[in-house]
Amino acid sequence: MEPAAAVTILAVVIIVLLLVVYLVAIIGQLKQITADLDVVIGAVLEIVRQTGPVNAVVITINQQLDAGVDLLEGLLVKKAGMQDALGLVEGMYPGSAADGFRRFGRSRNTKVPRIGEVYTKGTLTLARLGREAPIAAGNPGGPALRNAVNASSQARTLYPDPRRSSGSSRDNLPKSPTIGSASPNQYEPTSSPGARSRMPAREAAEESGFSIRPPSGHRQAAPAPAPAPAAEAPPADAPPAETGAPQRFSAISKRPWET
Amino acid sequence: MIIWWIGNLVLLAVVAPVVAILLKGVLTAARSIVPNIQALVPVATAITKDLDPVYLLLTTQRHVIQTVEVVANYGGSLDVILDDA
Repeated sequence: MEPAAAVTILAVVIIVLLLVVYLVAIIGQLKQITADLDVVIGAVLEIVRQTGPVNAVVITINQQLDAGVDLLEGLLVKKAGMQDALGLVEGMYPGSAADGFRRFGRSRNTKVPRIGEVYTKGTLTLARLGREAPIAAGNPGGPALRNAVNASSQARTLYPDPRRSSGSSRDNLPKSPTIGSASPNQYEPTSSPGARSRMPAREAAEESGFSIRPPSGHRQAAPAPAPAPAAEAPPADAPPAETGAPQRFSAISKRPWET
Repeated sequence: MIIWWIGNLVLLAVVAPVVAILLKGVLTAARSIVPNIQALVPVATAITKDLDPVYLLLTTQRHVIQTVEVVANYGGSLDVILDDA
């Protein structure tokens, strides 16, 4: 063999060995990469599976919140008016009035009153509720008419016990009627439903012989019976007394000083 | 014969080193990918665990719907109670 041929064969062998060594090493690395990527892809698929319904759920939540915001904005504008509503929002969240209300495009062009300097939070709503809200201080330099922080205790001083639930004020409450079998007023059942067991005063007086005093201007000298003695109630079936004394047009018997 | 020797010289002095350098570069690049991929594995697993409470969004959705319903009812009552501006 010629030396040149031997050198050629040696060079080719060296190159082939280099290719084999490096390519095998690269194959090993790629296999490891593939294995790791399988794990990552599995995790990504899990992420995709878990986040799949998020979009629809978040869209639904946003729709609900949008409806709530539209409702509250509409109610606020309806009740307080555009300007006061913006002022109230500005008073609670400074700077937010510049954005205006979402469903009221003209709110961006509305001049916002400096309501935050006059009204405290929620005062406008309380004022519209008709309660004694701390609308303003009596004197700009003086204290507020009502403590906005401890408003409940302040209101309690105005209305200490509106329900009269305790203390001496409870005695002023009318007692609840007692009904049922334990009631102190027991009424015997009627034997003739629909018929009066006791006649009204006029009919009872006529039956007993007394006459009712007519209205003024219609006094008539009716032959009324004499009244019974004052101490005793006249019996219902007592005959009228024949006397010449002036008659009293009354169902009431004579008073003690009239005898 | 001289040309053969020149060819052998080029094969050993140029082709073999170039092949070796290129293969070594590919191998280095492949090896540099591996730690990055291995670093991704725990991150992807952790993200999966972080997303476990995502199903609570359904609870949030239900609560939001209930809250908006309550607000709507309250707003309806206020609409009746309060005078319009």
